[in-house]
Amino acid sequence: MTSMTGTAARAMAGFGNTSLGRAFGSWLGKIAGGFLVLLLLTAIFAPWITPFDYAAQDLMNGNAPPGWPHLLGTDQFGRDVLSRVIYGARTSLSVSATAIAISITVGMTLGAAAGYFGGLFERAVMTVVDLTWSFPDILIALIFVAIIGPGLTSTTFAIAIAYLAQFTRLTRAQIVRLKRETFIEATINLGAKPHHILLKHLLPNAIAPVIVVGMLAIGDGIVLEATLGFFGLGAQPPTPSWGAMMSSGTAQLFLSPWVIIFPGVVVAVTVIAVNLFGDELIRALDIRDRIRGA
Amino acid sequence: MTNLLEVRNLSKQFTSSGGPFRRARAMHAVNDVSFDLPKGRVIGVVGESGCGKSTLARLILRLIEPTAGTLHFDGEDLRAKSPAQMRGLRARMQMVFQDPYSAIDPRYTLQRAVMEPFVVQGRKTIGSEADEVAALLEMVGLNPGLASSFPHQISGGQKQRVGIARALALRPSLLVLDEPTASLDVSVQAQIISLLEQLRDDLGLTYLFISHDLSLVRYFCDEILVMYLGRVVEALPDTELAARHPYTKTLMDSTFAPDPKQRRVIAPLEGEVPSPFDLPPGCAFADRCPQATDICRSETPELAERGGHPVACHHPI
Amino acid sequence: MLEVRDLQVAFGAVAPLSGVSFSLAKGETLGIVGESGSGKSLTAMSVMGLLPLSGGRITAGSIMFDGQELTTLAEPAYRKLRGGRLGMITQNPMTSLDPLQKIGPQVDDVSRLHLGKTAAEARARTVEILGTLRIPEPALICDRYPHQMSGGMKQRIVIAMALAADPDLLVADEPTTALDVTVQAQIIRLLDDLVKERDLALVLITHDMSVVAQTCDKVVVMYAGRAVERGPVQAIFDAPQHPYTQALIGCIPKGLSEDEHLIGIPGTVPTVLNYPKGCPFHPRCDRAQEICTTERPAFVHNGDSAAACHFAGSAP
Repeated sequence: MTSMTGTAARAMAGFGNTSLGRAFGSWLGKIAGGFLVLLLLTAIFAPWITPFDYAAQDLMNGNAPPGWPHLLGTDQFGRDVLSRVIYGARTSLSVSATAIAISITVGMTLGAAAGYFGGLFERAVMTVVDLTWSFPDILIALIFVAIIGPGLTSTTFAIAIAYLAQFTRLTRAQIVRLKRETFIEATINLGAKPHHILLKHLLPNAIAPVIVVGMLAIGDGIVLEATLGFFGLGAQPPTPSWGAMMSSGTAQLFLSPWVIIFPGVVVAVTVIAVNLFGDELIRALDIRDRIRGA
Repeated sequence: MTNLLEVRNLSKQFTSSGGPFRRARAMHAVNDVSFDLPKGRVIGVVGESGCGKSTLARLILRLIEPTAGTLHFDGEDLRAKSPAQMRGLRARMQMVFQDPYSAIDPRYTLQRAVMEPFVVQGRKTIGSEADEVAALLEMVGLNPGLASSFPHQISGGQKQRVGIARALALRPSLLVLDEPTASLDVSVQAQIISLLEQLRDDLGLTYLFISHDLSLVRYFCDEILVMYLGRVVEALPDTELAARHPYTKTLMDSTFAPDPKQRRVIAPLEGEVPSPFDLPPGCAFADRCPQATDICRSETPELAERGGHPVACHHPI
Repeated sequence: MLEVRDLQVAFGAVAPLSGVSFSLAKGETLGIVGESGSGKSLTAMSVMGLLPLSGGRITAGSIMFDGQELTTLAEPAYRKLRGGRLGMITQNPMTSLDPLQKIGPQVDDVSRLHLGKTAAEARARTVEILGTLRIPEPALICDRYPHQMSGGMKQRIVIAMALAADPDLLVADEPTTALDVTVQAQIIRLLDDLVKERDLALVLITHDMSVVAQTCDKVVVMYAGRAVERGPVQAIFDAPQHPYTQALIGCIPKGLSEDEHLIGIPGTVPTVLNYPKGCPFHPRCDRAQEICTTERPAFVHNGDSAAACHFAGSAP
């Protein structure tokens, strides 16, 4: 028993020394990080913790105020708001995280190639990527909706494209900065091939700020997902999404405000938590100036 | 004595392309430099910032492509080599860099940093990897116990020793030293210099030593090349020779002796090194030279033997 | 002019500087020499009253400037002194000037602020000072921006700013480290002439023993936050008593003799967090004995100079 607590304590101490562990060091990091861990667990275990089926309608019991058994009340169709908010976390987090993962993968590849090879290739890539930045996010989403119809797939692609420029530019800036470091020149002088330089030196040193900005972008992605859902371009009924819930809630804004307030509050708190925790992570990794430089 | 390195008419011109509000400009970073480096000798290249000495080091190792000139290393024409051939040749010609603080990847342990040359060249170590690392670290005067440390855990002098160990891992014959002690404290500088002396004797190395410090070059090197604005203005085959170029003389006069009894009342050189862009015709030093005459402002003096050793001056001292 | 006694500086719980003493008269140049981390810049900041900026404070000792105690001086009074009777030249001329302001106004401000000159008087004074610093066409230079000038020229402007309020004491913190060799010689000569012409007291902080040899009247050698040896420059170079001073002089290549060998000092400079017990230099000293590891050596006086070594006076 004692040895087990010892191992656990050592494991905890080991975690405390990692950058992620240090981000949990301050009370702000603990609160924000704790909330995000809780949200993640809620999304994963949604089927086991929701008190009701998120799609089950109970028309006799529509627009019920918060109370028992519907803790956060019901919407116009009598669906449980709490269950829908919990399932909404699943939709929001998975859509946003998937989109950002795509964005990071494509953005890092493009940015690293542009930064490493430079020249005309770099200009071409950066011009195209900057173009995506000059379109409003909603417009990009509309293009995808027009092509593949409304739904989570278009939302995912729209978010991925919207943040592509950010990751490409950030990675490129990191690579360009790192390329000037003496250790790169020294390694070239050892006779290293380009892929060795890129994979063993440039990318490993460039990844930390990209991960942190990616984490912050997940917060923004949640807002964008909610916005698209609000306009009916995202998740289609009956799939619960925070944005779609707020949208349907507008009709009964004064009759049953809880339908719009609770998802709204969850979106706001989530985004604040993501940003606070991201700041703590930036501090822990000591990369503030590198992110600003992008 | 055979020449390990033969440099002929080496030049590098950088151009900045013009824009709507800028005209294109050319800069001769290195201009028509020729010299021989015999096996086992130490040649010092000395000059102030912007004189092209660091560019020269990188041209010789083909880290920068020359605009003109030829380079022969151990009888092989370096400029005729393909990038792949060049990568293989790099094992035999290495460099120690000025800034030890950024010369090692911050994410690498010293063990990984010292083993990297083998990985890059696809070579196996003769003994075990740990033995090789320990031997290399010991060779440069580091405790092999440091192998698992990261660069941020060791001092600047120790980092420079790691840089030397990395450069020597593949047993090169030529080492280009680009101001290896310029960012170190004097006590550490002396340590590194004596380490380099010892390694030269033990391993039979040939050095090209780049520095701005004339007294250090005179102490450490067998021959001296003095550079000013991309050109070699004087080649001293012996460090004890007196300067014949007015610029070399100024450099020598500007070097303070560490002895209060030798306080010199020197007339410091007026002005500073002019911009290397679009140099006027004639001797680049003419504007600051007390002996300059009309010919100096119209004709560039060639580096030629004028009674003694080569000097590029119309009116050598 | 300036007398520092047993100065001790602390940042929170660590004391990077202690037991530093020296004095300086008008027309004299004092060199404070040591490697990075020896506390020489901290000494300069203490004299200038700039420690609070970086969170440090003077915990013991005194700094007397022209009969006035500086350690207890309130900040408003210090502000009048600083840039006025106390001039400072910093290491990096590139960052000491405001990049958005022309040279003229930057120098004018000093004499307007400290000497109460009118704009026209201040400009006349600026032009005159720039002239004495051998800056060509000083009136034209006033209309230039810092980025239009070379490093050596910028360092001259920084010196002009330090001189504008007619200081009695000048503190120069590594004024030539960032400059080329020929420019370094110019600036060092310039400072030397200024001391003689204006009867200034100059504190020159440097890591370069040869600069000290060429310019200073007195020297304080610092190591690990302590003065280890002090005295007239000739005595220190002729017969250095402290092994660290000897080693520091031995680190500089002197000349061309074949049998000369640079040895260097083994080991590394300790940081504030691991200052050794006893004599701070003992881990790197080849003459260290048992006593050096436990007991801090007191200053042993020998004529005008003094060295903090248990074996000072006994030949190596």
